[in-house]
Amino acid sequence: MSESLADTTSPSSAVEDVAIVYAGDYVNKMSGQRIERECLQRMERGCRALVINFRDTELVNSIGVSILLGVIDAAEDHDTRVAFSNMSPHTVKLFELLGLTRLVVLADSEEAALAILKEFAAPSPGH
Amino acid sequence: MPVKSPKQRRILARTAPETFVGRGEQLRELSALGSPKSGQQGLLLLAAPQSGATELLRQTFDELFRQRGGPTPIYFAFSRSDAAVTSAARRFLHTFITQTVAHRRDDPALVNASPSLRTLLDLAAPQDYEWVERLIQSFERAQDEGDERALVRLCLGAPQQAASAGVRTVVMFDDTHLVERLRGESGLGPSLAQSAVQSGVPFVIAGPRRRLFDLLNGHAQTVGLDALRRLHLDRLKESDARTLADGLAQRLGVEMNDETRDLLVQQLESSPYLIAAILEAARTTATRLASFRDFQSLYVDELLGGRVFRRYNAVLEEVAPSLTLRRGLLRVLHESAQGNGGKSPAEVWMKRLGTDAVEFERVMRLLHMHELASFHATYVETTPTTVWRDFLRVSYRLQVAAEPRALVVADTLVETLKRAPRTMARHYRREAALKLGEVMRGFNFERVPKSLLRYDRFLRMYRGLPRDEARAGLDAETDTVLLPQIVHAASCASFHPSITQFCDEERCSVAHGFESGEYTEGVEVVWIAAEVESKLEAGRALVGLWLDRLEQVAQACGFERVRFWLISREGFSAEAAELLNEREAYGSCSEQLDLLTARLSASSAQGAGEASADEFAIELPMSEDTELIAAHTVEQIARRMEFQPEAINQIKTALVEACINAAEHSLSTERKIYNRFRVEDDKLVITVSSRGLSAPVSLSENGTQLADKNGGEGSKGRRGWGLKLIRTLMDDVEFERVDDGTRLRMTKYLRK
Repeated sequence: MSESLADTTSPSSAVEDVAIVYAGDYVNKMSGQRIERECLQRMERGCRALVINFRDTELVNSIGVSILLGVIDAAEDHDTRVAFSNMSPHTVKLFELLGLTRLVVLADSEEAALAILKEFAAPSPGH
Repeated sequence: MPVKSPKQRRILARTAPETFVGRGEQLRELSALGSPKSGQQGLLLLAAPQSGATELLRQTFDELFRQRGGPTPIYFAFSRSDAAVTSAARRFLHTFITQTVAHRRDDPALVNASPSLRTLLDLAAPQDYEWVERLIQSFERAQDEGDERALVRLCLGAPQQAASAGVRTVVMFDDTHLVERLRGESGLGPSLAQSAVQSGVPFVIAGPRRRLFDLLNGHAQTVGLDALRRLHLDRLKESDARTLADGLAQRLGVEMNDETRDLLVQQLESSPYLIAAILEAARTTATRLASFRDFQSLYVDELLGGRVFRRYNAVLEEVAPSLTLRRGLLRVLHESAQGNGGKSPAEVWMKRLGTDAVEFERVMRLLHMHELASFHATYVETTPTTVWRDFLRVSYRLQVAAEPRALVVADTLVETLKRAPRTMARHYRREAALKLGEVMRGFNFERVPKSLLRYDRFLRMYRGLPRDEARAGLDAETDTVLLPQIVHAASCASFHPSITQFCDEERCSVAHGFESGEYTEGVEVVWIAAEVESKLEAGRALVGLWLDRLEQVAQACGFERVRFWLISREGFSAEAAELLNEREAYGSCSEQLDLLTARLSASSAQGAGEASADEFAIELPMSEDTELIAAHTVEQIARRMEFQPEAINQIKTALVEACINAAEHSLSTERKIYNRFRVEDDKLVITVSSRGLSAPVSLSENGTQLADKNGGEGSKGRRGWGLKLIRTLMDDVEFERVDDGTRLRMTKYLRK
């Protein structure tokens, strides 16, 4: 099962069972909640893996981080894996500092993230 | 500094303006009272005995009189010759009209004349004739009617009458304590206060600092009195007293050398009254003051029968009018002065004086007001000033013990001469003392290099380096100590008098304060600092002895959390430094103290002053995403300072967190965040403040690995990382105490 890029109105997309959500330039309360909402929607529609792409992200604040942790919690509940991609070195350090990097897959690019998650997202035999 | 004025006419002043020293600031404030810019209506001048309040008011009068076009100065002193309230009120009205007419006619000679009211009416300027005539007629009518209250009201209301006719005045009442003696239906003090406060005319009420409020309030609180500006007048600073003595000696033609002048200032405790009295006596007796012996001979003469004697004797006569009571009082005062720290139980005083409770209360009130003794409900303490104690001793011996005069004169002269070198030695020691109380009073949560308080570190790292190099090293030091905020500092002897057995009063100080921005019991601390006398590095035994002494002080005073700080000019031996560390005490040499003081002064100047050229400030509304504006601003500043990109991102993130923190926790009603960015050679200092609730101030030492996914916390439980994050991203982070809200200061050092 896959979702086309065309049916999304927000800067996110889905490939096969993997949803890609693009974080904005500033991950704060408002943009964090947008990411959270999109991720929850994708998971409810059956996504088995999520890629959050931070290619535009310049700054992340602690409220944004706490919301991302909420997303990671929810993903675990939905048996969904989460990958963070395209993070700037500063964002990586910040997430390391806050312990987020232990909880997600890290990838340099969206493609690399998709490759890692593809196997996980594939339907299990007999499904 | 002598006070200069363009036209040096003396009218009421007894001293020429150029020899009136040490009161420039007060004179300026009083002289500005009538100016529209002053914004002050009334002022209470609370004067210590013999501090020269009368001369200050007289100088103010002259200064205002000389300023043509300004308000009319009125100086009125209550007098012992005023028997009743009405006579004082009448005299005030007469003085008021005389001085007003004199000023309006620019006729200073009239001030010191005593023309009748009708003559004054004739002399009044045409534009004043009408209101002066009206006032005089009303006064004459009130006198005929015999209504005391109406008469007093009318007389004290004269400035208001003049004001309604467009004549601006500044009214100065002096010697207000004498109103207490006046006969009358009601107390003049409260009427005077009420009339002055309600008149809308600028005024000064001067009187003894220990009694003025009680006199003016009477039995009820006078409305508006508490809101008045209070100007305190104490004895002169020593440097001003020296200038005064030099100026007077020159003007009076008294030969005096510097050594004698210094002794005179010390022995007379910088009292302008006593200095002037002794120099006047030197002039009238044609005595030169070229040696200690010259001065002490004259001093003893003055003490036994001259101006000094007359001054104190007049007060004693006022306090104890009957000879029997006066003798009893002299005996008790003298014996009390000789006894345990000058203190004795009030009950003993009452018994010894043989008075009833009412009379005893009156005697004590007057002694207290004149600051000859302090009455503390259960005990009485004779004031320990040198001249007063000398007066008591000689008066007791002559009047109570009836000793031969020649013997008293000889003994006193010998004793004062023997005392002179001790007086000077004490002065020199006091001048040379490091003034630890003052240093600690300047502590205000500054973070200072640990090397300034740990002698062993300082010795290892900086001793012998040129001052600039040492300063640069200290600036770069990251191992720091957060000083407390000191809220009160005083000599250790004030808390524990017996410490003076071991050192001069000014060499050991106790400072109460708080270690962090919350005023709570848990962070309360007492610093006890002592200057250890040692020509070489202080050794372990000496340091141990001092730490034990300070420990005893702390125990005796009930200080719970204490920090000891010893200062030895040449530092400490290795063993002594080890002991200091073992007992968690600080130790500094004089060089460390100098560096610390310079650092504190610079820090307080930065805090007090406006933004320097290298400081940027922005004010943000607390609304969505405004922290980004702060982040972009600091990015520009950090780039200009050539911070590395990674450091810039860290600064931005920390600032964003600080702004969010300010907005989230302050409950600020004005909804503003104040950011300041101070650019220094090696660092960027950012302060973020907001008004409202104080934010939590405890910062985690370790901000890493904050997310604990297995902890079962929801996203709300994970909040509150901001401060820990800031701590991790910046080099120094601290909260500064502000009265209304919180100020967070973050520093990032430049590492190129």
